[in-house]
Amino acid sequence: MAIPIESLPPPGWDRKGIDGLLGLFPPGRLSEIVGPRSSGGSSLLLAFIARFTTSGSQGGGQVAYVDGMDALDPASAAAAGVDLSALLWVKCAGRLRAALGAADLLARCPGFPLVVLDLDELGPVPASAQIRLQRAVEGSDTILIVRSARHREGSGASLVVATRRLAPRWMGLRPLTRLAGLRSEASIARSRSHPLSPRGEGYTWTLDWTL
Amino acid sequence: MTRIGCLLAMTEPARPTALLQVALAHSPRVEDAGAGRVYLDASGLQGLFGDEQRLAARLHQAAAAAALETRVGIAGSRIAALAAARLGAGATVVEPGGDAAHLAAAPLSLLGLSEDVAARLSRWGLRTLGELAALPTAGLFERLGGEGVRLQRLARGEDPRPLAFSRPVPLFEESVNCEWGMETLGPVVERMRELAVRVCASLSARGLAADAFEWVCRLDGGGVHEGALTPAVPMTDAAAVSGLLKLGLAARPPRGIVQSLTLRARPVRVTPAQESLTDRSRPSPRLLAATLNRLMALVGPDGIGVPALLDSHRPDAVALSAYHPHPTLLPRREREPEESSCELREPTLALRRLRPPAPAAVTLASGRPVALRSSRLAGRIVAGVGPWRSSGEWWSQHRWLQDEWDVELADGTLCRLAHDGSAWHLAGIYD
Repeated sequence: MAIPIESLPPPGWDRKGIDGLLGLFPPGRLSEIVGPRSSGGSSLLLAFIARFTTSGSQGGGQVAYVDGMDALDPASAAAAGVDLSALLWVKCAGRLRAALGAADLLARCPGFPLVVLDLDELGPVPASAQIRLQRAVEGSDTILIVRSARHREGSGASLVVATRRLAPRWMGLRPLTRLAGLRSEASIARSRSHPLSPRGEGYTWTLDWTL
Repeated sequence: MTRIGCLLAMTEPARPTALLQVALAHSPRVEDAGAGRVYLDASGLQGLFGDEQRLAARLHQAAAAAALETRVGIAGSRIAALAAARLGAGATVVEPGGDAAHLAAAPLSLLGLSEDVAARLSRWGLRTLGELAALPTAGLFERLGGEGVRLQRLARGEDPRPLAFSRPVPLFEESVNCEWGMETLGPVVERMRELAVRVCASLSARGLAADAFEWVCRLDGGGVHEGALTPAVPMTDAAAVSGLLKLGLAARPPRGIVQSLTLRARPVRVTPAQESLTDRSRPSPRLLAATLNRLMALVGPDGIGVPALLDSHRPDAVALSAYHPHPTLLPRREREPEESSCELREPTLALRRLRPPAPAAVTLASGRPVALRSSRLAGRIVAGVGPWRSSGEWWSQHRWLQDEWDVELADGTLCRLAHDGSAWHLAGIYD
């Protein structure tokens, strides 16, 4: 299947600020947020969900969150601005097959314009399941985001956002008094719908997460 | 010739509809007047129950069989039938044309007078309906207006108002018996599908939908297998209901040979709403309900829902509530003000919870953690803050006490450690 490559950045392509990054996730495609522990990947995901559930332009924002490891902290989500009443939380208790099955079901249900599959370190994901997920959202308006620790070869993701830890931010001199946040970096590791720079460098965002 | 029967309960019925059901069993035209009083059209029932004396006796017996203490009256008007029931004993029939004579001795209170009118009639020295009926109509009109004339006509047994028929409460229930018994799930599902088609057709004919379905399988040997399903949205789509019933039966099949099946629906009226042209299309109720039921079968009923923060300082105090898409499917401007107060905030660092918290071995130096070893993480701690102490519910058996530390491992991982007074746990990882 031919993959459309646009010659110019689309309207709204903003290299500065988190909104520009969050606006890149394409509907009808599979996207990935990958990054090791404490790299800001989950924070980025919650920021996207918060934007989705509180933005009228996205159509009222029903979000399905398939939680492979039961790791979602609703208090963190609420602090990030997520409208919890618009969130369907599916807890899979570490069962990979259940998580993949649930994500597949939800991706094919037109009531959820955003479906998140949070696998973290669960895996490996069979190639057939990856293709099935990709096909499930093809031609629909659904955004499917897979959050995992590392990029899965052959996932067929249209957009891969990689996150990297820069440094934690502490308050107070020695002794430290409080964890204030985390500085991380997000970059486009792969994009099939947006062009990367000629030198092959990914677009990068420096993100400051506060606690 | 109009003939009216009155069923008057002498005691409070155990079930509000019991009296109505007795009347409906004898006549299709029934008015529920409330206060333990039901009128029925007794015209043309001779062919079914014999003369009016037999009908009255039968009504009295049927009420007694339903554990209702009643009196029965049959006359040419409601007021005369009520007087017959109230003043008679057991079952009383007023012969055609005898209403006025029968009412003559009845007290005025039978008319349900207002305080003002009752006081005026009392001042005039009137006590019975016969005395009211004997007054000159023109003079009564001059003093009491149209209301006076209406009361006098009632006192004479003239009641022009027709019965206000009460519709019986519809029961959306279908059953099927299988004398040969069904040993496997296939025939049970097929019979259930037939029942679903009939129930849904009955609902649709009345413009209703059902928000709950219950089924009962009577098993060989006297056992009963029951189940229920609650679709995410009220529905009348027989195919969708059949699919959900199939899923429900497959998840919990009857343990025995099924002799009979009953399917019952709880009706609700769904108010149609105008869709907005600018919003995304809503999910098909059928697809959404089927998806949610499949998800429940996949992860269990406790594994799916809408997260809700509990009013507690206990760490990870969260409950899952049932998912009902209606309010959140509404465009945000139509939601309640308190629900639409969420705003985009500054980027917040997320905590990934470990459920249950992973037991950890923590090495302390000068009271501060310096090394961590657990099934998920291990390493030297290079920075840390704490302890943050929290406690609560000390007044109950669910009291809790916890010291929390935010630490950074040598590999850069930020995590939260918790000590509950006896052991260390890895509570979560910041990401």
